[in-house]
Amino acid sequence: METTAPIVDRWGGGTCPFDAGWKKVMMWSFIITDGLLFAGFLGGYGYARTMATVWPDQSTVFTLPFIAAMTFVLISSSATMASAVWSAQHGQRAVAVRYVWLTLVGAVLFLGMQAYEWTHLIEAGATLSGNPWGDALFGAYFFVTTGFHGSHVLIGAIVLLVLGINLARGRSTTENVEMAGLYWHFVDLVWVFIFTCFYLL
Amino acid sequence: MTDHADIGLKTYWVTWGILLGLTLLMIVLDQTPMARQLFVVVMLAAMSVKATLIAGTFMHLRAERLALMLMVVVGLFVTGAILFGLIVPDAFRILEMNSR
Repeated sequence: METTAPIVDRWGGGTCPFDAGWKKVMMWSFIITDGLLFAGFLGGYGYARTMATVWPDQSTVFTLPFIAAMTFVLISSSATMASAVWSAQHGQRAVAVRYVWLTLVGAVLFLGMQAYEWTHLIEAGATLSGNPWGDALFGAYFFVTTGFHGSHVLIGAIVLLVLGINLARGRSTTENVEMAGLYWHFVDLVWVFIFTCFYLL
Repeated sequence: MTDHADIGLKTYWVTWGILLGLTLLMIVLDQTPMARQLFVVVMLAAMSVKATLIAGTFMHLRAERLALMLMVVVGLFVTGAILFGLIVPDAFRILEMNSR
């Protein structure tokens, strides 16, 4: 009874076991479920890759320095977003707004670079159902996974735009900046996996 | 809402530097001749370190209560590992069938 008492105290109702607001708990729940969706994409990619006899050689298909630049932009935007959250938490609203705008610039830049990369690949003959380099499934997995990630970046950019405007007008709370930050870091986190699995391995 | 995040601004930018350094290292290793299995292990290790840094520092997970940390780690990584564990052997089975 002595050992179970603290658990009952914490989980018996009327308390906050995670010691976090409902927005944060819901955002983390979303991140877990959305993360599993990406895990499904990457798992499927790994499956197709393993059973394929001829998989396209990444050094032929992709321009790695360009992808490295895309990664640099996304990681940097994550750092500016973390700084925006920190500034908001410490009452520096104007600084937080500037960091949010910087993060938005990173988001737009990343989207532009992804559009350029996609255009380059499509012009080279890559489609959802085929490509000139090897296994036909390559295009399907690449476009669906990076496209789904890109759509998250686009949603993030819209969220950042709304957040920046509201924060500049004093209509947004620190908690909202934190939630936008969690989402944006998740987008960066997913890219870490995509970058490794699609472009390097 | 209780704020557990007590991570300084400097820590974020140090993390940013480490993430960039690791990314650069991965790219350099990609251009370096290396046994395939070793390359895969090193890349997956670097990827895991980067993911942990982002989740732990940028997303403040390391400053959260253990219950929240476990919810994320068990919910995401363990379920993901089970998913991979279930489908990878089947992929090898099909590869073997195709090779015959």
